[in-house]
Amino acid sequence: MQGPDIPRLFAVIMERGVPAALQITFFGLGLGLLAGLSLALMRVYGTAPMRTFAELYEKTLRGIPVLVLIYIFTFGVPGLFWFVDPLSRPIVGAYVALGIRSAAYQSQIFRGAILSVGEGQVLAARSLGMTNFQAQVYIVLPQAFKIALPAWSNEYAVVIKDSSFASDVGVFEILKVSLNITASDPRLWLPAMLVVTLIYFIFTYPVTRYFGKKGGGMAQVGREIVWQ
Amino acid sequence: MMSSPASPSIGPLGIEEWVGELAAGLGMTLYLYFTALIIGFALGLLLALARQYGGRISSRIATGYIDLIRGTPLLAQLFLIYTMPYSLNAWLSPDGPPVINTRWSFQLLGLTYLNFPILASIVALGLNSAAYQAEYMRGAMASLGTGQVLAAQSLGMTKHEIFRYVIIPQAFRRMIPSWSNEASYLPKYTVIATFVSVEDLFGKAKLVVARTFLALETYILVGVVYLILITIIARILDKLYEKTKIPGL
Amino acid sequence: MSDIVLRVEDVWKSFGDLQVLRGISFDVAESEVKVIFGPSGSGKSTLLRCINYLDPPDKGEIYLRGKRLGDPDTDINKIRSRIGFVFQHFNLFAHLKAIDNVAIGPEKVLGLSKEEARERAMRALKHVKMDKWADHYPAQLSGGQQQRVGIARALAMETDVILFDEPTSALDPELIGEVLQTMLDIAKEGTTMVVVTHEMGFARSVADEMIFIDGGVIVERGTPHHFFTSPESERVQQFLHKLDELYGQTRDERRTIAERDQE
Repeated sequence: MQGPDIPRLFAVIMERGVPAALQITFFGLGLGLLAGLSLALMRVYGTAPMRTFAELYEKTLRGIPVLVLIYIFTFGVPGLFWFVDPLSRPIVGAYVALGIRSAAYQSQIFRGAILSVGEGQVLAARSLGMTNFQAQVYIVLPQAFKIALPAWSNEYAVVIKDSSFASDVGVFEILKVSLNITASDPRLWLPAMLVVTLIYFIFTYPVTRYFGKKGGGMAQVGREIVWQ
Repeated sequence: MMSSPASPSIGPLGIEEWVGELAAGLGMTLYLYFTALIIGFALGLLLALARQYGGRISSRIATGYIDLIRGTPLLAQLFLIYTMPYSLNAWLSPDGPPVINTRWSFQLLGLTYLNFPILASIVALGLNSAAYQAEYMRGAMASLGTGQVLAAQSLGMTKHEIFRYVIIPQAFRRMIPSWSNEASYLPKYTVIATFVSVEDLFGKAKLVVARTFLALETYILVGVVYLILITIIARILDKLYEKTKIPGL
Repeated sequence: MSDIVLRVEDVWKSFGDLQVLRGISFDVAESEVKVIFGPSGSGKSTLLRCINYLDPPDKGEIYLRGKRLGDPDTDINKIRSRIGFVFQHFNLFAHLKAIDNVAIGPEKVLGLSKEEARERAMRALKHVKMDKWADHYPAQLSGGQQQRVGIARALAMETDVILFDEPTSALDPELIGEVLQTMLDIAKEGTTMVVVTHEMGFARSVADEMIFIDGGVIVERGTPHHFFTSPESERVQQFLHKLDELYGQTRDERRTIAERDQE
């Protein structure tokens, strides 16, 4: 009886599983950034209906499990992504599900960051003759991005960890790959899960630690953002 | 009574006759939620105390645990726990009977309230939630500052008395607003139990879809149920915060 | 003055490379009021914390009624319950009403019954004229009111001595008077006190001895009369002059309160 070949497990999962996980993270975060920033701007500067809409969006998307969202965008509406190759539809569903969910969180992150820059600087910018738009682009947003960085790195970790849910709709990401390659040998199940845990840790911990220490004014304790 | 996709639907959604099943699933979801919340609370409190007031070693251990949990997916943690007995059985007794039994279950009045998959789910959720709850608690403890501890020391209170009469009562109240985040959103994370074939709300939804093919309706309905559940819990915790708030603060 | 309540003997304390106290010694007798003053960073607050072992001294001894604090067989918590402490920033327990802030020590540390402790707390609050505010939480009180509750908290323990660490320096000018008045009252009743303060009016009216500390050592000591008429060292003269420049006017006003009270 010999022990499991951990390095090989690690290599195979890295090679076959990590690419899909990173894709989901990239597109999920990207979509979430675009939509989340728009929502944040709506909440800070928008009209009353826009604010209500953004707030409702945040509340709703934060209150539904991401797995349910993934199912809605894959099995719920099978023809939704008719323009992509049928084999890729599950992963596209995962991009969208994680993206629109991340938008709700990123909206909160950016709203807090924008508000913490403060009105005084906008007034000062306007007094120099800048338009509202210029004040946003040159004064508020550059600072807001910096302030948001720790919380945003936490959001990155949330998305990459939640990409594991895509395994349930047939996306060959880290978890699915490791379950598949060890399916016939129960002896490898536990070692494979240890390797999976390690891989996620490698992809999250250094990032959250590095950016978390950059210390903006924003608390980023856990999976749900906290305002103080 | 079995239904087939061809049978006439009795309501606008077409899944009304499955409401009983979904309600049973909701019961399991609530059960997972409360047990995990309580385990997470107890362990989280220990972790927070160890991290904030413990010696160097206990604070290192607590920090390491919290970082490890936060750095890895809940789903992977569940599988780690769930696969443990199977792998151990395969290693320890490749051909003989399993060393660790995974087929036990406790039932009462026809309801299974504990078996290995449910236990694994509760343990995974509890261990996971503990790390997050600990961080919220620690934040509240850190916000207390050292002045009141000095004052308590100068009255001659022992370390134990200072915890009991000064730190704990305030930390609990201070942590409610941030801790509410974890407490009210935890129901969302109980869906992981579906992965080890526990019939929670989402697990039941998958069963309903398998029989009715009404995927969109079912998943949206279930999503709304989670949303309502979380909103209600958040409201209750808000009320609790208002009630326990220290006047003037 | 005969009985020695507190003896401070050659106390040294450093934080890392910074030597804060370099051999401080003095005695405090029964009913004595000792005022300690000196520039900021001179080690006054550290000295007070050393006295009740919140920061144990590196070297030197503290005796409370002849009992050595650093002894392995003395229970430091028991000793602390006999040394009152009033903090610069009040440090009231935020979750307790004024009455409970005062009662918690007698009940939990001295072991009085709940009723006895509350009764004693109420007496202490009456003493500092805060009995009407007994059911308010710290955050509902002004700084001056909070500090008076802080004093009541120390009084209710019926300690051998009370240490005051700049009790008025965190207060708005208009709130300083009420706290000083309370301190004058209890001083005149014979409370043994060690007070770190820059309130020279207070020192002038009740101090039995004043000690000037700079750079971690006692530079000069004497009666108020000595300090206000013929201070010897140049450092003391400069310091008193600076205090006069900065606080002169308000100090005069406060002196009138004190003097009026003396008549």
